Amino acid sequence: MRLEEKRLGLDRPFVVRSFLFLRNALTLRLGFAERMVSDAGSRQVRLIILERLPTTLLLFGTADLLLFFLSVFVALVLSRQYGSFWDRVFVALSPTSAAPGWFYGIFLILIFASWLRILPFGDLVDVPPPESRVLYALSVLKHMILPTMAIILSAIFISVYSWRTFFLIYSSEDYVELARAKGLSGRTIERRYILRPTLPTIITSFALMVISLWTGAPIFETVFNWPGLGRTLFQAIGLFDIPVIVGSTVIFAYLLAITVFLLDILYALVDPRVRIGGGHKQ
Amino acid sequence: MPRKRLFWSVVVLLIMTLALTACPGQQATPTTAPPEEPTEAPAAPPTPTEAPMEQPTEAPEPTATPEPTATPEPMAEDRTGAWVDQVVFSALESDDQAIPRLEADDIDLYGGGLSDPEAFARVKENPDLTYVLSFGTYTELTFNPVLTFNDGRLNPFGDPQIREAMNWVVDRDYIVQEIYGGLARTKYLPITSAFPDYARYVDKVRELEARYSYDLERARQVITERMQALGAEMVDGKWTYNGEPVTIIFLIRTEDERTQIGDYVSNQLEELGFTVDRQYKTRTEASPIWYGSDPAEGQWSIYTGGWITTAVDRDQGSNFAFFYTNLGLPGPLWQAYENDPDFYDVAEKLANNEFNSMEERDQLFRQAMDYALQDSVRVWLADGVTFTTFSADLEVAYDLAGGVQGAVLWPYTLRWKDQVGGTVRWGQQGVLIEPWNPLGGSNWIYDTDVQRAIGEFATVPNPYTGLQLPNRIERAEVVAETGLPIRRTLDWVTLEFQDEITVPEDAWADWDAAEQRFVTVAEKFPDGATAKVKTVVYYPEDLFDKVKWHDGSPLSLGDFVINMILTFDRGKQESEIFDEAVVPSLESFLSVFKGVRIVSTDPLVIETYSDSYSLDAENTVSTWWPYYDQGQSPWHALAIGYLAEANGELAFTSDKSEAAGVEWMNYVSGPSLEILKKYLDQAMEDGFIPYEPTLSEYITADEAQARYENLANWYEEMGHFWVGTGPFYLSRVDTTAQVVVIDRNEEYPDLATKWAGFGEPKIADVEVDGPGQVTTGEEATFEIYVTFRDEPYPADEIETVKYLVFDDAGNLLVSGEAELVEDGMYEVILTGDDTQNIPAGAVKLEVAVTSKMVSVPSFGSFEFVAVAP
Repeated sequence: MRLEEKRLGLDRPFVVRSFLFLRNALTLRLGFAERMVSDAGSRQVRLIILERLPTTLLLFGTADLLLFFLSVFVALVLSRQYGSFWDRVFVALSPTSAAPGWFYGIFLILIFASWLRILPFGDLVDVPPPESRVLYALSVLKHMILPTMAIILSAIFISVYSWRTFFLIYSSEDYVELARAKGLSGRTIERRYILRPTLPTIITSFALMVISLWTGAPIFETVFNWPGLGRTLFQAIGLFDIPVIVGSTVIFAYLLAITVFLLDILYALVDPRVRIGGGHKQ
Repeated sequence: MPRKRLFWSVVVLLIMTLALTACPGQQATPTTAPPEEPTEAPAAPPTPTEAPMEQPTEAPEPTATPEPTATPEPMAEDRTGAWVDQVVFSALESDDQAIPRLEADDIDLYGGGLSDPEAFARVKENPDLTYVLSFGTYTELTFNPVLTFNDGRLNPFGDPQIREAMNWVVDRDYIVQEIYGGLARTKYLPITSAFPDYARYVDKVRELEARYSYDLERARQVITERMQALGAEMVDGKWTYNGEPVTIIFLIRTEDERTQIGDYVSNQLEELGFTVDRQYKTRTEASPIWYGSDPAEGQWSIYTGGWITTAVDRDQGSNFAFFYTNLGLPGPLWQAYENDPDFYDVAEKLANNEFNSMEERDQLFRQAMDYALQDSVRVWLADGVTFTTFSADLEVAYDLAGGVQGAVLWPYTLRWKDQVGGTVRWGQQGVLIEPWNPLGGSNWIYDTDVQRAIGEFATVPNPYTGLQLPNRIERAEVVAETGLPIRRTLDWVTLEFQDEITVPEDAWADWDAAEQRFVTVAEKFPDGATAKVKTVVYYPEDLFDKVKWHDGSPLSLGDFVINMILTFDRGKQESEIFDEAVVPSLESFLSVFKGVRIVSTDPLVIETYSDSYSLDAENTVSTWWPYYDQGQSPWHALAIGYLAEANGELAFTSDKSEAAGVEWMNYVSGPSLEILKKYLDQAMEDGFIPYEPTLSEYITADEAQARYENLANWYEEMGHFWVGTGPFYLSRVDTTAQVVVIDRNEEYPDLATKWAGFGEPKIADVEVDGPGQVTTGEEATFEIYVTFRDEPYPADEIETVKYLVFDDAGNLLVSGEAELVEDGMYEVILTGDDTQNIPAGAVKLEVAVTSKMVSVPSFGSFEFVAVAP
């Protein structure tokens, strides 16, 4: 009994134990799962999580990037066409972004997979998986279309609406008027005088959106049968597999932290005011 | 500039991630053909509860190995092994996805059994889909049997009479029709309506069904009397005890129909004055409470239980001990069961086959049925009917209990209609659920259904009757102690009786793990030993030439002997791979095992002596075929696993891996592979022969070397160590995509037509006709038509045609066996004496037909009016 207590660290004070557990969690020394095994058959929590992480990063990374660039583009276009039909459409549809991505996913699956039968229901790859790596990658891309569309659909209207508003606000600034008066081209004005100063605000709003998307991953990946970290967490909760739940939570915490960290770096890139040592040296 | 850099960095990162994901998990470059030629054949039955079955001597005339029904056209008569070239297994997140994906041609077959009536209607309406039915699931109400909980609360279900009254509280017809949508049958007893015991005792079953049919008022009366006797009071329409409401904590499962069942029963209990705390829980949430907690703690009162049998169970006699007594399981619930001593005695005798004739068993069984309903620690509700659905262009044999997924014969019979070859995309709820290793790996159905296609058995269970059929063996003999109720049905096995069966002194009775040698009968039983049953199995002369493992190694005697050794070794403390999780099963085995002897090595003949037997001679035969608990394996693949466990780097079982803090051994993927490869190299270098003091007599150094080289080549080519002799080999494992691909073993020696007859179970259709009015005291004749697909059912394939006459209250008046007129036609003659006792009014004549070809009995009925003369 004593040996077992010692092995599990139960002979140490609670506070010490808590810090030890925290250290182990932060360094991904997560031990063995209680019930789950990794896809490759290992019971190490670290392996269970790490083998699912790339697919989650791939899907959400791709979708988020597409969402960002698409939203910026559309928002810029709409800011030029304030009050137009499409502007009003986006404004009208912006409340639909209250629904999560998986909600749209179900409808997309019904339409494109079940009814039209032109896209797969979900999964990572075709069955049987292509043997050539190129075809395999193309098959993965094909399987990403619907989930990516679902993510974009769930967030694009609100982001376009809010960003186009930012652009409108910034486009009425005095220095923009001055630029127009100087006869600069519309494209230059957009890039240098509107987009540039708006970026910190947009990036902040985008980062917050990404974080909210991460939190929906468990259900989203389950709907699309996507073998990612979210589905692992979903399964772990169903099985009460505490080590995996703790591990997945830690990983999600890392992902959020990394998102915020990248945000800081991006700030420095897009906003000279927050650049360290960016000023003139005396 | 920095923005450009950032943009391109992100693009590169994205491409790299894509490329990383695109590297399939464990991708073994497939080759179309496996190295060498294996043989075919199935083997032991996966699940059935064992037990006796009929009378000792009077066994019916044996029939030839059954020829099922329609014979599909073989497109290529010389085709060997499987009909299809490839089967691809992939995981679907839930059953709900099955039908839409089948309809969208995204998969060809969904392996799991479905029970949703709406989905069933959808499948029936779709001409592109077809389905098969199976009958292995059943539901019940499990009661907490403790009368007063530790905190003083009253548990009404601790009272046997209240439990018995619960049979009148539930309307099983309502459950079957309204909740299951007709996809179920009412159930009152722990026997399945699709299995032989039900038809055998149908008269008793009907009697009990009538006695315990829905009667809420009767239940209210009994419950009121008992509650008052227990000190409870009815206050404002609610039962109270010591001033507190009597609260029923009802654990209601949420995954299936049991949610509605739980709500329905809760409503009924509330109607009777109980306060019900409905707790909706999933399997993992409910299990620690109803199964894991001490019933006296009072964490629960009722649980909606559900069970599954994955193969036709020819003897359900042990179900009484399992479900009602502390003989069932070691858990706290089972240990809290307190039975009437007579019930316990009857249940124990049925479980241990302690009877000397079929008549004696009949008597015990009928008593047990009465006791079961009086005890009612479980109230049985419904036998589920599940359907497996697939493309209408596919054909496959299926098990009447386990469906397609549970059928041992599916790999041999799955085919596209009128076509040879092709790929079948098989969806199921998961795949590669847990690590694969033959001794203690995954036992999930989603893994074992794949493993069965890669391996093969010495005998296979008939999917429609549960009787074993020879696959790799030629014939067998069974010698039983005189008086044992064993019978023979098929002609591949002989049965004889002897007054005493003496175990030869040189037979192996046990294993000395320290010295790594067998202990003989003479050493273990110095005074000699006898056994209740001796079986002799004869393998064909060309066995070792014909059967080859997928890696090219010929099957050899070493594969059989290591199976015998491993039966004992892992449960012995002196063993290098001792595993305490194996000890209970070894102890149970040793309590009945008497000895084994290799009589001849060429051809291989093995004698086994035991006190354990089944009612069917076919199901009693011990083959020692190298198919382990979780898959088939040659000795050399086991040897590297042995080294890995002995050196503390891997463990065969989950328990041991957890205790030792090492990986659970996995022969197909993951970090185990590197370790196994390391020991393969070491074994090759050392010429390692496991259990050398014994196995070196059966394995030469040359054979060992050749086998290790074959396995190394196999690993290099396929990327895993999973080797069998079955009609398919494991060609790809994509762990990321959760896809497993098995390809046809082109070297498989047996013809694909070998099992082609198992197209459709011959479940008889029964129609009864006769006079609409019968005068009491006068003779009346009724005709019974027994057909299959509108053709008369051959008389030699019919076991019995029983008739039962009931009055309008469901009381049994007359019963007997119908007389054969001609194939497909029988006659029931109620004599004047029979009809004399029939009261005037509506009367029902029910007929139960039992076939030798299928376990499922068929019923037909006819109603007439009895009038006084």
